[in-house]
Amino acid sequence: MTDARPDRRLAATGALTAALVALAVFGVFFVAPEDADQGIIQKIFYFHVAIAMVALLAFLVAAIEGIRYLRSRDLRHDEVSTVCVGIGLAFSVLVVITGSIWAKASWGTWWVWTDPRLVTFVIVLLLYAAYFVLRSSAEGERQARYSAVYSVAAFASVPLSFYSVRVARSFVHPVVFSRGGAEMPDSMLVWFVVSQIAMVGVFLTILQLELIQRRADRALRRVKARLEAMA
Amino acid sequence: MSTGAQYVVASYGVVLFALLMYVVVVGLKSARLAREAELLARLVEREAELEPDAGLHPADAPPAAR
Repeated sequence: MTDARPDRRLAATGALTAALVALAVFGVFFVAPEDADQGIIQKIFYFHVAIAMVALLAFLVAAIEGIRYLRSRDLRHDEVSTVCVGIGLAFSVLVVITGSIWAKASWGTWWVWTDPRLVTFVIVLLLYAAYFVLRSSAEGERQARYSAVYSVAAFASVPLSFYSVRVARSFVHPVVFSRGGAEMPDSMLVWFVVSQIAMVGVFLTILQLELIQRRADRALRRVKARLEAMA
Repeated sequence: MSTGAQYVVASYGVVLFALLMYVVVVGLKSARLAREAELLARLVEREAELEPDAGLHPADAPPAAR
């Protein structure tokens, strides 16, 4: 018998996520008030920041799974770590694109090289892109070990990106969440929280989908190898 | 539509496009897995045709083969 729990978990997470994304889009566009300063452009914030947070969360999970692999040498942790880095990277690209659109609308330019938040985020993105270059350069146990060590080491860049904008406050990128709490009214914050949960749901759905696909791929390879051996 | 609204639509459009592209990629992967599974099923069926008794417990084999 095979384990059907991952399939059921995927169905539940996917359905819940779809409902949450629909609710978030509805709330952001039809319920949340327009920002007094930026007007409708501020609506980009809800998904842009939520995706950025989930990208960093994916890198955190990748680092934790990397540590778990190094402790146990269980390849399942290596697999989860790799999938998380991939998702984090894809989400980071989305953050840069949506951020650039927001920058053009708000600051009149697509990119500002003097802003620490923007530059450190691109550094994080490039560091994690290099993860796949490293991974493809090794095989077998070494591939998993190098990847795990790299995912842990690369995570050091994440707090750098997160705190850069808080340390250098004089630059253009705004800080919405500080030690004093969220600098926005509750009527906006509630829809940001819904968007954030929806994006976490998207992350979990993609993670499960990728793991199930890899499991199916592995099973097929096993059968193929057995048949070839029998022939 | 105002210029600001166009930027918002563009931003959310990028996210939607990325999600749709991912669905296409997953669809293609699933199609490949289905194709391989089908191929393996055919191989197994052909093996079974060539060796009809293969894998049968002696008790389950037809009387002539015992």
